[in-house]
Amino acid sequence: MTPSAEPIVMDLQRKPNIHPATQAKGEALVSALAGQRTSVDSAAKYLSALPVPHRRVERWKHTAVSGFWADYSEPVVQTIEAAGCEACPVPGLHAYRIVFVNGTFDAEASDLPVHSGVRCEPLSMSSAGIEAEGNLESREWFAALNGAFAAEGMKLLVERGVVLDRPLLVHHHTHGANSANIMRHEIEVEENAQVQLIHWSTANEDASGMVNIMTRMQVASGGIVALDKVQDEAGAVHHLAFEQIKQAGSSQVRIHTGTIQGKWVRNDLNFELNGEGCDAVLNGFFLPKGREFVDNHTTVDHRAAHCTSSEQYMGILYDSSSGVFNGKVFVRPDAQQTNAYQQNGNILATDKATINAKPELEIYADDVKCSHGCTIGQFDEEALFYARSRGIGEAEAKAMLVHAFIGDVLEGFAVQEVRLEVEHRLATRHGWDTWNDTIENA
Amino acid sequence: MINIKELQASIGDTPILKSLNLEIKPGEVHAIMGPNGSGKSTLASVLAGREDYDITGGSVDFDGQDLLEMDATERARSGLFLAFQYPVEIPGVSNINFMRAAVNGKREHEGLEPIKGKDFLNLVKEKASLVELDGRLRNRSVNEGFSGGEKKRNEIFQMAMLEPRFAVLDETDSGLDIDALRIVANGVNAMRSPERSFLVITHYQRLLDYIVPDFVHILVDGKIVMSGDKELALKLEEEGYDWIKEDVSA
Ligand SMILES: Nc1ncnc2c1ncn2[C@@H]1O[C@H](COP(=O)(O)OP(=O)(O)O)[C@@H](O)[C@H]1O
Ligand SMILES: [Mg+2]
Repeated sequence: MTPSAEPIVMDLQRKPNIHPATQAKGEALVSALAGQRTSVDSAAKYLSALPVPHRRVERWKHTAVSGFWADYSEPVVQTIEAAGCEACPVPGLHAYRIVFVNGTFDAEASDLPVHSGVRCEPLSMSSAGIEAEGNLESREWFAALNGAFAAEGMKLLVERGVVLDRPLLVHHHTHGANSANIMRHEIEVEENAQVQLIHWSTANEDASGMVNIMTRMQVASGGIVALDKVQDEAGAVHHLAFEQIKQAGSSQVRIHTGTIQGKWVRNDLNFELNGEGCDAVLNGFFLPKGREFVDNHTTVDHRAAHCTSSEQYMGILYDSSSGVFNGKVFVRPDAQQTNAYQQNGNILATDKATINAKPELEIYADDVKCSHGCTIGQFDEEALFYARSRGIGEAEAKAMLVHAFIGDVLEGFAVQEVRLEVEHRLATRHGWDTWNDTIENA
Repeated sequence: MINIKELQASIGDTPILKSLNLEIKPGEVHAIMGPNGSGKSTLASVLAGREDYDITGGSVDFDGQDLLEMDATERARSGLFLAFQYPVEIPGVSNINFMRAAVNGKREHEGLEPIKGKDFLNLVKEKASLVELDGRLRNRSVNEGFSGGEKKRNEIFQMAMLEPRFAVLDETDSGLDIDALRIVANGVNAMRSPERSFLVITHYQRLLDYIVPDFVHILVDGKIVMSGDKELALKLEEEGYDWIKEDVSA
């Protein structure tokens, strides 16, 4: 490739790679949704041109979307109380809160920030249009679907120099069968402003359908954002989460994604580092069980010099679960002195579990430091035997190895209460009785 | 304490232990010596419950219990301890959390509540001083970045923490300088008691100057071919293993 080459993902698809049967399914979904809600034309116009994802589209090679072709119905339940769920999933958390149930804003359950220099409101109350051109909405079918049909979400503005005094929790809850829970969050953080965000997704046992959440974030120079993302959805929900992060010079954004449970989850993170001296951190862990599926696709686009990005994704796959990790890092010709780090570690806990892992580095600048590592292995049998020979039970020995494996990522949650609750939920789900106790005293 | 009868073990199709007999009574210290590859570590692993081996014959009685029916965790909780020839590194798991889980495992087995944090730390302090284990090492990941000598001292520290009835030390002396050897031996000697037995596996007589055994056995090709008192170890040291091999094949 020549040094001036544009990264592949930036290319508009000249000849759309269309699979006719899948395309028809997508079109049927679009017309069904169009019958139920109004659509936004600027994004909707891309829906018919873009290929509906299928196995021969590179970004969807290992990610089956057939679970999305369902008959969606209008949700009945629209409040967290009616859904029988806690408004705040994190005990003891002192935070602002915005709650959405089946894509509807629940004012009663919310506790919006009242803070000078901060504007936080449901998207439906603002008149924001959507700019699809040049964004993911014009390149990715499911993102275009979001752009066309997301009628609700959060609109947040943190003005220049303002530091929000408490974390802001965004709670998405899905209830009931076949809901189409499509939401978009628009976040703008001005110069030197700071905010800690938590995105927490839950669903009832009998929930099914689609969750499609787009988070678009503009961070101006010197802005600092931490986003703790937790996915803990029971039921049979298919969860798509897109993040589009645009960073100006000297800004810092860290996103930690913890996937505790979910039948089908795809996280699609896209960072653009547009000014000098940006810092991006994206970490995650996933511990699927049963037949669950978790996909983390990440793109970090270094467009300016002197930026750093650091990425660590750790997965432990149990039973017959499967996972995908794809980490793209682009370093454009002007992005000299880039420092990019990527690590992806996977443990297959059984011989039925699978992972497809692919780091993709494309580097067009010459004075850069980029490193990446990818491992796929099993639990260390020697370590397990050593622990058992000391009288530690096999399950507990494994729990210790799990904690050692994802410990760094857990530590990285910005909000301490989030970390503790995540650890508690993991321990409960996996039956690690003494896990919390052990790490408390570490 | 432990009674091993006609024990046979193999890896795949290869027999390693070939009808091994050994009885150790409470309070006794037995030493096993033998050339490399004779099956010493295999015996230690089979006793500790490593599953890579097929037990093809024989029995092991541990104070009235059928040891071979128990899994590794149960054996440890019942009072068996193995000091590994090659202690395992576990990155990310702190030595202290590791030992707390071990101590609590044993307490659970005995129907006791988990140990209180303060009591545990006091216990650690007491036992660590026995083998002069540096405070820093207690908080580091299990064996990670430890020198050879530190790893072996950590094994004896763990033994002291767990107070087993029966301990197998697999070449705990190998790779130790004379000071470390003395420290390790002192730690073991401090634990000798009429209720506790040891099986000390070593390649060299040297260790037995410090941990004086009641009996010495020589293991060749998966069998004990000769037993005696500590004089046997001295004779071995002087004359090597060849005369035994000749003796046995004669
Ligand atoms: N995991 C293993 N796989 C294959 N062969 C083994 C394994 N462990 C031990 N052996 C073989 O068994 C024999 C005895 O080994 P070992 O018990 O380690 O001897 P020692 O401790 O007396 O030096 C050797 O021939 C060794 O090669
Ligand atoms: Mg050996």
